Amino acid sequence: MSEGVMAVVKPEMKSYIWLQTADGSIQQVEEEVAMFCPMICREILQTGMGSSKNYAISLPQRVNPAILGLILDYCRFHQVPGRSNKERKTFDEKFIRMDTKKLCELTSAADSLQLKPLVDLTSRALARIIEGKTPEEIRETFHLPDDLTEEEKLEPLRNITDDPRIRLLNRLYARKRKELKEREKLKSVEAEEERVDERSVDDLLTFINGGNRETKGVKTNKNKKKNRRRKDHPKDSSTNVNGHNKDLDALSSASQDGDTINVESPSPSSSKLQDSTYVTFSSKRDLDDGDLDDDLDPAMKEELDREVEDFARRLNSDWPERMQEILSLGQERKLAPIDINGNGSARRYKSDLQVWTGDNDLRESTI
Amino acid sequence: MGDFSGCDLISNLPQSIIESILTRLPIRDAVRTSCLSRKWRYKWTTITHLSFDEKCVTLSNDRALVEKSLIDFVTRALFLHQGPIHKFQLSTSYLQSCSDIDQWILFLSRNDIKELVLELGEGEWFRVPSCLFYCKKLTRLELFRCELDPPPSFKGFLCLKSLNLHQVLVTPDAIESLISSCPLLESLALSYFDSLALNIRAPNLKYLCLEGEFKDICLENTPLLVAMSVAMYMTDDIAEHFEQSSNCNFIKFLGGIPLLERLVGHIYFTKYLSIGNDLGILPITYNRLKIIELYQVSFEDMNEILVVLRLITSAPNLRELQISGSSNALAAIEASDLDFWEKQCPSDCTFRRLKVVKMTDMSGVPHEMEFIKFLLKKSPVLEMMSITPCAYGLEGRMKMLIELVRFKRASPEAEVIFIQD
Repeated sequence: MSEGVMAVVKPEMKSYIWLQTADGSIQQVEEEVAMFCPMICREILQTGMGSSKNYAISLPQRVNPAILGLILDYCRFHQVPGRSNKERKTFDEKFIRMDTKKLCELTSAADSLQLKPLVDLTSRALARIIEGKTPEEIRETFHLPDDLTEEEKLEPLRNITDDPRIRLLNRLYARKRKELKEREKLKSVEAEEERVDERSVDDLLTFINGGNRETKGVKTNKNKKKNRRRKDHPKDSSTNVNGHNKDLDALSSASQDGDTINVESPSPSSSKLQDSTYVTFSSKRDLDDGDLDDDLDPAMKEELDREVEDFARRLNSDWPERMQEILSLGQERKLAPIDINGNGSARRYKSDLQVWTGDNDLRESTI
Repeated sequence: MGDFSGCDLISNLPQSIIESILTRLPIRDAVRTSCLSRKWRYKWTTITHLSFDEKCVTLSNDRALVEKSLIDFVTRALFLHQGPIHKFQLSTSYLQSCSDIDQWILFLSRNDIKELVLELGEGEWFRVPSCLFYCKKLTRLELFRCELDPPPSFKGFLCLKSLNLHQVLVTPDAIESLISSCPLLESLALSYFDSLALNIRAPNLKYLCLEGEFKDICLENTPLLVAMSVAMYMTDDIAEHFEQSSNCNFIKFLGGIPLLERLVGHIYFTKYLSIGNDLGILPITYNRLKIIELYQVSFEDMNEILVVLRLITSAPNLRELQISGSSNALAAIEASDLDFWEKQCPSDCTFRRLKVVKMTDMSGVPHEMEFIKFLLKKSPVLEMMSITPCAYGLEGRMKMLIELVRFKRASPEAEVIFIQD
């Protein structure tokens, strides 16, 4: 049936195909040009549509009339069999020169029409646009929202291009900058007196390793994980445990949320180290998104270097002993105040342990 | 940043297009897209083609540092990657043999790797770990400067279509069994093997490329071969070994490939074929052979001339012929056997389809000129014959030209072009 309909009346008359775009407008196109698109070709052969205005082929939504015009220009040139490769290449190079917005629309439309050569051509052009640009430039070109947090922005790049020391350093920096930003906001609302922390580095590290601590006031933050921990905090009076949480997080964040690179900031409620280092930098000018290392002067950097090194060293060396500590302390603390929901809390305790240790065996051994 | 009146242009394109774009970027730029916006954070992690080289890291004069940062980069990229990896390419001279590469290959073998290209440095050759042989879905394998040692339990790559080994250390038995145990093999390239004696059994082989010192090659079972390119380096001992052998190399090599369409032979190829030549009628006709390119044919060796004649007379549909000579014009003053062309040369053959002939490095020795004369006389549809002399003196060229002008041409359309520089 379709063949009969296709063979339009007089031999000298060209046959035309009727195409309808999503906005309702209808165009007629020479048959051989339209058949160059696999999707249109299939429509014609399978359903016999397109032979007249009333039976126009509906094109996918991603194809608007202007873009359709471009696509048909492409098809019109390339469907002619006699052209040399050089001619085709020259045409392609000229064809592809258009603004980015149109290029993206064209890619999308070509994909919906399954016109693979055009998709390849536009993909290559888009890759050329992206290549070599900085993230800011790319965002500007494509109107991308800048909605990653500081830390998230740093993670993948730094993880891939730098060594672990710098990564730890970056985490500290990122945390600090966040704090600074929040501080700025708070400052504009209310005057707040700055705390000065005179403790030495050794004291701070003792703090990490399980010495006595007093909790400071809770700071606001956006991270959900932190909120969750804060909820646990009142029930678990061991700040010790939470301090260890922070260390563990730094190492086993992967097991927590399945993200291989997501690093959590520690809960500020228990972090003295954080306070002090924050304070040391509070007098610095605004730290922008650019290169981190340049924002701090060498003395500061050195101190931070030392802190980080000690930090890392202790993490690595004292690990088994500290694990024991957590387990024993946690056990004492938790079981004591809980009478009523014996089972529930025990379960919770166990799941906390799992979270801390990332230990699958433990998980399996629970209900 | 720009105007927010324009909405996001690109993040909502289908994932296949995003991957197509990211695959066309250098891997470093692709990874960097993860800090563009929330949606882009993990878009790069599912691309299926990963291609690493030293452009991934900042170069410096400290080799060890570059090596370390490259290793870190690849390891972390693989660690962050999600999903199957179909193509993995590593091309760098900075990485010597190291255990990290072993681990990467192990990782790839668990991730459906299909195409693997390893191009490593000049130092100690990388010893390919046995986990490579468990990559069941491998369709393409390219190794440069590696050591290959298949385990005894290895039964072959059942999906392998393309194999390219370049400067690879492997025993001849291993190579032979590797080739014959890959039933789908279509394209084979072996280069820079020393003194290799090889029986190639590959029923689906279409493209063959050999380069190196081959002692003995026999295309035992390659009936579907379509195109072949061979560059034979021969040392004197190999040549000697040949003189004593009675096997006809021509038949061994070209006897079982009736579907051949294109033949390219470099360096000592014609000499190799000429050894053990039985001069009888060739049992095979190459009906599809359209293009023959033979380089460094010595027109002072009668045997080589016979090989060339045998080839072109067994290819009735030959369209294009390209021959470069390697004769010493100063040495050959009078050639013997010149009467061959009058008496013994097959006189009933015509090259019915031959349209283009290119003769290069012609020194004007008598046999060369006779050959050209022969071609001109027997090619009724010839369109172009180009001759590029290598004779340095003007006089030598003049001599050639004077002879050329005299030759009879069977084709009225033939243009004989003498290329000056």
